[in-house]
Amino acid sequence: MKKKILSLLLATTMALSLVACGGTTEEATTTETETTETEVTETETTEVETEVAMEYPDSIKVMFDGTVFTEANGRAEFEASLEGVMSEYAGKPIDIEIIQPDHSGYYDSISQTFTGDASTWPDVVLLGAAYYSSYATQGVLADITSWWENSSLKSSGRVVSEALIDALYIDGSLYGISPARGNGCVTYVKQAWLDAAGVSSLPTNYAEYTAMLQAFQDAGLGEYPLSSAGIMNAEAPYVNYLPEFFQDAYPDFYQEADGTWVDGFTQDSMVAALDRLIEAYDNGWLDPESITNDTKAVREKYFADKQGVFTYWAGTWRYTLESNLESKSQEDLPISFGNTTLVVLEPIAEVDKYIERQATVWGVTTAAENPVAVADLFYSTMLDGADGQILWSYGVEGTHWSTAAEVLITNPGTDSEKANEFAEGQFHGLVNIETGSSLYTKNHIDKLLAIADLTEDFGASIDPRAEASMEMFNQNSRIAPVIVSNDVMSKYNSEMLSTKQQLITQVVTGELSIDDAMAMYNDQYGAQVEEILASLNQ
Amino acid sequence: MKEEKKLAVVNKKPLKARIFQYRWFYVMFLPVLIFILLFNYLPMIGYRYAFYEYKSALSIKWVGLDNFVRLLSTEAFWSAFINTLQLSIVKLLLNTGMAVIISLLLNEIKNLTFKKVTQTIIYLPHFMSWVVTASVFALILSISESGLVNNLLLNLGLINDGEQIYFLGTKATWRLSYYIINIWKDTGWGTILFLATLSGINPEIYEAATIDGASRFSSMRYITLPALSNTIITVLILNLAKIMNLFESVFVLINDNVINVAQVLQTYTYDITFAAAPDFGFSTAVGLFRSLVACVLVLGCNYASKKVRNRGIV
Repeated sequence: MKKKILSLLLATTMALSLVACGGTTEEATTTETETTETEVTETETTEVETEVAMEYPDSIKVMFDGTVFTEANGRAEFEASLEGVMSEYAGKPIDIEIIQPDHSGYYDSISQTFTGDASTWPDVVLLGAAYYSSYATQGVLADITSWWENSSLKSSGRVVSEALIDALYIDGSLYGISPARGNGCVTYVKQAWLDAAGVSSLPTNYAEYTAMLQAFQDAGLGEYPLSSAGIMNAEAPYVNYLPEFFQDAYPDFYQEADGTWVDGFTQDSMVAALDRLIEAYDNGWLDPESITNDTKAVREKYFADKQGVFTYWAGTWRYTLESNLESKSQEDLPISFGNTTLVVLEPIAEVDKYIERQATVWGVTTAAENPVAVADLFYSTMLDGADGQILWSYGVEGTHWSTAAEVLITNPGTDSEKANEFAEGQFHGLVNIETGSSLYTKNHIDKLLAIADLTEDFGASIDPRAEASMEMFNQNSRIAPVIVSNDVMSKYNSEMLSTKQQLITQVVTGELSIDDAMAMYNDQYGAQVEEILASLNQ
Repeated sequence: MKEEKKLAVVNKKPLKARIFQYRWFYVMFLPVLIFILLFNYLPMIGYRYAFYEYKSALSIKWVGLDNFVRLLSTEAFWSAFINTLQLSIVKLLLNTGMAVIISLLLNEIKNLTFKKVTQTIIYLPHFMSWVVTASVFALILSISESGLVNNLLLNLGLINDGEQIYFLGTKATWRLSYYIINIWKDTGWGTILFLATLSGINPEIYEAATIDGASRFSSMRYITLPALSNTIITVLILNLAKIMNLFESVFVLINDNVINVAQVLQTYTYDITFAAAPDFGFSTAVGLFRSLVACVLVLGCNYASKKVRNRGIV
């Protein structure tokens, strides 16, 4: 009898645990399956008609990465405030469901999400440029051309960078909106290093640039003059961390001035760039660990004064880099930082222009019950120039920013403790909830990059150093070659880009000669390159 | 004869009666069966996508065996396949060999407290995640001024300044570093089974050997090692079946410069699955191929196990 009771208990426990694990999912699946039938019909619709009455949904599911405030940084307050703004716009209560995977694994989650049934997709999703092109052509994103052309947002005149939206058209159709420009990297040089090495004038061409690196090395500053996160970046625009060495070389497919498509990896400019990179590596100008560095590792090396030159994002990042250097205890650094100023180099003559990456895009998926209503609700509030845009730009008053007179302490109880005093009415970020080490500067939209201006002036919050670097970048940048997507490209290109990245690295470190690398590439992908070029040039 | 007859009578019971007789066992087994069907067999339905071009849920197209044709003609796939076999087999042999040596050494320690402390220390790395392990070794093996190993070599005069070895960044040293990191992490854990076997050896055999004048080395050579041999073979066979599962340890240590010697099937599958424009059908084909090879290995190991131990593992 005891055995029977025991076996029953065990079986019941296991069965209950299974039910408990699967219960919620099952319920969700049932509901979601019911909506799928409707969604299939929506998917078949090739273009969203604006004549459809604005029947706003009761709730929208939004998926984004860590460029929006995370859970540990007051996301709940942001969500509640955004629901308020959207509800007011729609004239009915709107519930927002947020999906925010870990930032570093965001695109893994994106791939997994869109592999699954459409009923599990978000209504609105944030995508990188390559994913935007790919998902738009696959029918994952709804066509919002008609909505945009007839929208009050467009006719309001608030969107000052319409060219950016025009650049998002694929075969005459629009599938998403970028609320801000993509930004790009500029080269920062530590003034203290220039002083210590006796470099009085900033480099204007490659010879002067390498002479500066050599001067840093000769002066025995840090461990190496320059470090970067990889040789070729895995994401477009690929060459942005080492522009002085890549110069006009670009490893992906791009269009020549006459409109002909070419594979940048096989061009003479790439061979010349590889020569320069080998020179940098062999001479010890470039940190040999650049191969294994991620961006965080490079930033930490920069803050620890192991390097003097760092090509990184323009704008707010300049403020972040400088304020981090300021917060370092001087005894910790090999060079006494009487001057923490970073000099932003104008592009050297051979670079001509820094590259601006294609901005991330917010797209409405075809899984949304009424894509046009979702688009109207989401974009119109995001770029309303008022409360909604403030939320996306700075977050929530009282949680992320304030205008009250107060003294904010960062790094309390440490050697780096700092009091930040603000006067009444002065706009300022509040202390980072998660780390306590800095003040918030922005949410998702960087005001310096936004395509639409705020009606209320929050300019006082922008650090003049950040603004100066952004201005310099704006005057000296060009948009990265458009990422194209067609069936042939999507079949081969991601694997080819990985191979290019590996070959470039192996050439720079001396594992392969340039000729061998090119021969290997041609052997492995020659036929595919021809196929892709034929599809692009037809 | 009577016994045989009795057994025969039991076996002739109707199925329903037999089920009823053992009903409580079946009840106990039922949740396990459901669990296995749900989480082990049901996901296998996804293997059908190996025969499709699958770019998103909206873009699924039947392509027959195209993915397999592409797979077999892809150089990167074959490179990953060969690397998987090489890395796994060498790792298996080294880890097992080191575990045996350390077990033998531990077995010789007479001070119980020292032995237990040593055991605890060598077990600990097993509980460290691979991400942490990789970060720690990236620091230890770094070529920067903080790199412990390079500084040691420099101070010992084995290398000159500027000749620091980029252990994790060059093809020539990556595999060696990988094997050493694996040994450091998993050897301690691997000793558990061998120590258990060693503790089961009758002490009287050692006493008899000592009386006969055998040295400690001879005792180890002629008593301990033969007693361990069956366990060694068992461990090797059981682990051989898992050699296609190499992922985490490689994933956290791989970089572009060593990809030719480090990329394994699982990391290759990961790369092609999470690219900007993935074809999940092709990824599934790679996964299916890997599973088939693993299945062949399991069956081969089962056969080997039957030969060596007179009983199979499945």
